[in-house]
Amino acid sequence: MRVRKVVALGATLTLAAVVSACSSGSGGGSGSKTVNWWTWDDKQAAAYQVCATDFEKANPGVTVKISQYNVADYFTKLTAGFVAGNAPDAFQNSVQFFQAYASQHQLLPLDSYIGKDKFDLSRFSVGVDAWKFTDGKQYALPLDWAATGTYYNSDMLAKAGYTANDVDNLTWNPDDGGTFGKMIAHLTLDDKGRRGDQAGFDKNHVKTYGFGEIAAKDFIGQTTWSSFVSTTGWRLGDRSNWPTVFNYDDPRFVKTMDWVRSLENKGYAPKIGQFTTSVSDVDLLSSGKVALETGGSWEASTFAKIPNLKVGIAPTVKGPDGNRSVLSNSNGNNIWAGTKNPDLAWKWVSYMGSEACQSKASTTGTFFPSIPASMDASAQALKSQGIDLSVFTDMLKDKVLYPSPVYGNGAAIQDAIEPLFEAYFAGQKNDSVFADMQNTTKSLLAKS
Amino acid sequence: MVVTSQDNHTTPVTPSSGAAGAVAATAAPSQRSAGRRTARRSGRALPTRSRAARRLDLPFALLLILPAVAGFAIFYAYPTFRGVYLSFTDFHVLTPPTWTGLANFRELVHDGVFWHSLWVTAYFVVLSVAFGTLVSLVTAVVLHRTTRSTVLRGVVLLPFLISNVIAALVWQWMLDPQLGIIDIALKHLTGHSIMFFGSGGWAIPSLAAISVWKWMGYYALLIFAGLQTIPPTIYEAGRVDGASEVQMFRRLTVPLLRPILAMVVVLTVINAFQVFDIVQVTTEGGPANASNVLQMYIYRKAFRQFDFGYAATMSLALFTLLIAVTFTQLRLARANESDLN
Repeated sequence: MRVRKVVALGATLTLAAVVSACSSGSGGGSGSKTVNWWTWDDKQAAAYQVCATDFEKANPGVTVKISQYNVADYFTKLTAGFVAGNAPDAFQNSVQFFQAYASQHQLLPLDSYIGKDKFDLSRFSVGVDAWKFTDGKQYALPLDWAATGTYYNSDMLAKAGYTANDVDNLTWNPDDGGTFGKMIAHLTLDDKGRRGDQAGFDKNHVKTYGFGEIAAKDFIGQTTWSSFVSTTGWRLGDRSNWPTVFNYDDPRFVKTMDWVRSLENKGYAPKIGQFTTSVSDVDLLSSGKVALETGGSWEASTFAKIPNLKVGIAPTVKGPDGNRSVLSNSNGNNIWAGTKNPDLAWKWVSYMGSEACQSKASTTGTFFPSIPASMDASAQALKSQGIDLSVFTDMLKDKVLYPSPVYGNGAAIQDAIEPLFEAYFAGQKNDSVFADMQNTTKSLLAKS
Repeated sequence: MVVTSQDNHTTPVTPSSGAAGAVAATAAPSQRSAGRRTARRSGRALPTRSRAARRLDLPFALLLILPAVAGFAIFYAYPTFRGVYLSFTDFHVLTPPTWTGLANFRELVHDGVFWHSLWVTAYFVVLSVAFGTLVSLVTAVVLHRTTRSTVLRGVVLLPFLISNVIAALVWQWMLDPQLGIIDIALKHLTGHSIMFFGSGGWAIPSLAAISVWKWMGYYALLIFAGLQTIPPTIYEAGRVDGASEVQMFRRLTVPLLRPILAMVVVLTVINAFQVFDIVQVTTEGGPANASNVLQMYIYRKAFRQFDFGYAATMSLALFTLLIAVTFTQLRLARANESDLN
């Protein structure tokens, strides 16, 4: 009998310990004046620390804790946080995961706060609509905007006989690549110093590729093929927001992909998988493996600061009708629905969405603020450091930007489509793969 | 024996109930009729005493097995049953699961990626089991026949001491198509480089090679222990009969090692089916799903796409498959018998 009592006592104690552990887990933190904010960008984490310090000064007793996790783990960690109940109060989010989180009620709608504070959304020139969900509510303030530009090794370009003006006015078409196609062929060098458009060029021993990694598995192609194919009028979705299908089987798209693959086959661009993911596009340009490439606007200052290398920035190509067309996207600043301090979280998020914070944080050049006045301030500050962002500010002015569609089921689409792009660019599949892709997106978008 | 005597039923004088039962049972075959009767009688008589004894033993026994049972129930049984339940639901973690019946299983049958992943996994298993067993067997036999140095035996085990992730990272560096030392050597020898992780044909063999390298020492050690159970007299006899080393290996060592080899093969198969970390570190299932092993696919479905219901269904399929494979293997290899006695 004593033994049974001991057992019972032991069981009770264990249970009590478990219960108290649970309650302390959920109870802890309430009443504390700490705002946790997460980002996946190490440079932005450092940039926004300036705002955090100002915010803490203006709100005595409040601490802002900025954490950064690598983008490969960021969304997994965020989901684990939702489940475990310790997700950050507010966080940077990508449109790719917007639908998944909003439909599972993990994001706090901001409309009541926006109304109460009379927060003027029109201060943002881009990205507000990307964070409006199917229920019509606003779930985030846009944190930034991003576009695509052309980055090139100025010395290599000069050696090949081109001027900056030539790069600024490149034309392109999916049939022969236009003046752009001619330029990258000429920029390509093999190990014996022969150029890509010369006789005897050895495509198996290329020393410098005329163009970067355009044959990539990326299913939106934001920094790769998107700025080319969009000049033909092609768009990813059948409508701009919440599309029902991605137009991969459009003849204009298929033709462009054929052109991209021909660059691989001619040795003007690296083959898919040739450089592992540990090699970034900045590494490719700085090591001289690549002479010219398209890249994200958020990389402009990183490219410009490559030591001992003069990097030029140019706009993307002009299409068959003479116009440029560039995809732009905006990350959002979300508040977690489960936060214990929604008011304080909103205070922080709305402060981050103010001109004061945006102008200060964006002088680092690690992101482009969505507020035009801040963007100007940022461009001014970077110009004094010798980084000319006029290529991107002109895109904004000339209205060559078009917004990235907002769509559901992003992770599933990515996992289904990327292997198909890989197989196509590796030469394992032919043009018929694009019809499969289109059908796959149709069923996956319907599921969301 | 006292218990077997018919006249003694009124005053059984056995030291304890357990011993009495044992004696009764062992006595039964020799004195069939008497034993059976006694057993029946003792079956009536014994519980009266043992019930009291057992009453004391039971709580204590329960207490002793409680940690093990609790651990098993919480960390194995409950998750297993919950996993089985979830495989019949549509579950996205943040909202409660909804029962969908066999929908997930229907999706599984028509999911091309799942069947592709199964083949990729099977390919990996075949490569790593065949080469893994062969390499570790040869290593163990060479060690056993040639050296008594414990240092050498320890060295063979070294790769096993490295974590999977570190091993995969280091090999990825060495096999890198631009910077890797193996690639540089290959370029000097053949003039071409191989994309070990970047091409569809090489991804799985490269991963299997890392896995074999990593586990070879551990399995060699297991086989080595098995080799030490074979009496040296057998080899002496073999040598007297004029058998060569190769003949002795084929005719003596391998048959006598069968139970150990069967265990090693079962372990390698289970181990290979569970491959995940080295894939996640190196190829992430690419290129073009060429190394998208089943665990990788399940992980992506669950933790990237939040489709936990379907992921649970695939896990259940893998679970069933593993049970079937292990059971068949153990039956075929007669692992519980040895030719030594």
